[in-house]
Amino acid sequence: MALRYEYAVETEDLAKYYVMGPVTVRALDGVSVKIRRSEYLSIMGPSGSGKTTFFNMVGGLDRPTRGKVFIDEVDIASLDAYELAWLRAKKIGYIFQTFNLIPVLTALENVTLPMVFTGVEREERLRRAREMLTRVGLGERLDHKPGELSGGQQQRVAIARALVNDPVIVLADEPTGNLDLHTGLEIINLLKTLNTEKKVTIINATHDLKMIDVSDRIFWLRDGKIERIETRAEVAVKEIE
Amino acid sequence: MSGEEGVKFPLSEAFSFSLESIKRRFGRALVTMASIVLGISFLTFLLTTGRIVSVLYGEGSGVAVQFYQLWMAVIALLICSVGIVNSMLMSVTERYKEIGTMKCLGAMNTHVLEIFLIEALLLGLIGGLIGAVAGWTIATVWQAFTQASPVNIFMVSASLWTEFNASNPLLLLANPLIDIALSVVIALLAALAPAYIAAKLSPTEALRYEV
Repeated sequence: MALRYEYAVETEDLAKYYVMGPVTVRALDGVSVKIRRSEYLSIMGPSGSGKTTFFNMVGGLDRPTRGKVFIDEVDIASLDAYELAWLRAKKIGYIFQTFNLIPVLTALENVTLPMVFTGVEREERLRRAREMLTRVGLGERLDHKPGELSGGQQQRVAIARALVNDPVIVLADEPTGNLDLHTGLEIINLLKTLNTEKKVTIINATHDLKMIDVSDRIFWLRDGKIERIETRAEVAVKEIE
Repeated sequence: MSGEEGVKFPLSEAFSFSLESIKRRFGRALVTMASIVLGISFLTFLLTTGRIVSVLYGEGSGVAVQFYQLWMAVIALLICSVGIVNSMLMSVTERYKEIGTMKCLGAMNTHVLEIFLIEALLLGLIGGLIGAVAGWTIATVWQAFTQASPVNIFMVSASLWTEFNASNPLLLLANPLIDIALSVVIALLAALAPAYIAAKLSPTEALRYEV
């Protein structure tokens, strides 16, 4: 890519309302933020604060009621189905709380899947998937199916799958939500290492406070609005006080 | 975004994906296939028997017999379709979550549709083949054992495979090859509706879906 934009993600007055009978739920209510390239960002807030909605909008998985999302300065609402699929395949890597691996495929096959859609040759696919799985510490478990792996290992497969196409952004929705304290910490550190190594922007929607220690910035979300934005240093100072 | 960029999913890739999916979920595929095999063998059995009896006792055995046979064929077709629709519906809905994941990884609606239709085509073809051959064989052997001239019966029954007289629907349906084609068509139609709905879901809706 010739041009390097300063911001990987920008949102403008982003809002998503759900109409449930007579009630309109404002899941996201006017969020305008700028997320820099290779930033490690955490979006924190209690459940129901709109974290997952933000994740879905930025990831192009759902359409906003109002406002815009720019990825690499491209308004994703202007993309047709073909371009949107390319965005999901190439520019964004997704990590979910429930891992969402394909249960009948092996770890290796799960990681090759995104490369099928970006048209990588079969041999090259296998080579890169093996390399990526080795990188996340699963070089010995390539041929295991998700059911034969622990939660932490499954999440490592999901991380490998999210990063294998060298995306601009990795979006993670509660990546440690289904993991115990120790495994969760391992996953957080792995994400941080990959963020530093590959210069990939990582956006976490989480309420795991362990995430603060590695985040460059933290967006505090409440009732669909940004309550405040802090850097790690500011959070640390508060803790000392 | 420049021109050469864009998601790819060639038909060969879709085909191998569908084939693998059937292999890996062989138990599930067997259940779906069983309903196709049963339906088609029932249909073929009835029509083959009907043909043999008609030829043995002459076509002149009456309009009532003809009508009765057609009616039986329609019922057999309905039973077979309901079974196939039901199992196709199940096999698509239980994979909503997988569809959501695939769409997050870059699959487009048409790719999802392709995967399911190729699967239905394969299941319809294999199930139809087994069903038609089984139904025809059972009907022929049964008749040969219970009637006077087994050689004659086999000749009549064998001739059904090359019968393509489109003017008589009963005669045409009695051709096991037509029943195999019918099996493929029913399987495709049965998979089309749920696969279309699944393919059109947004990734978040598909991921949220709990069976």
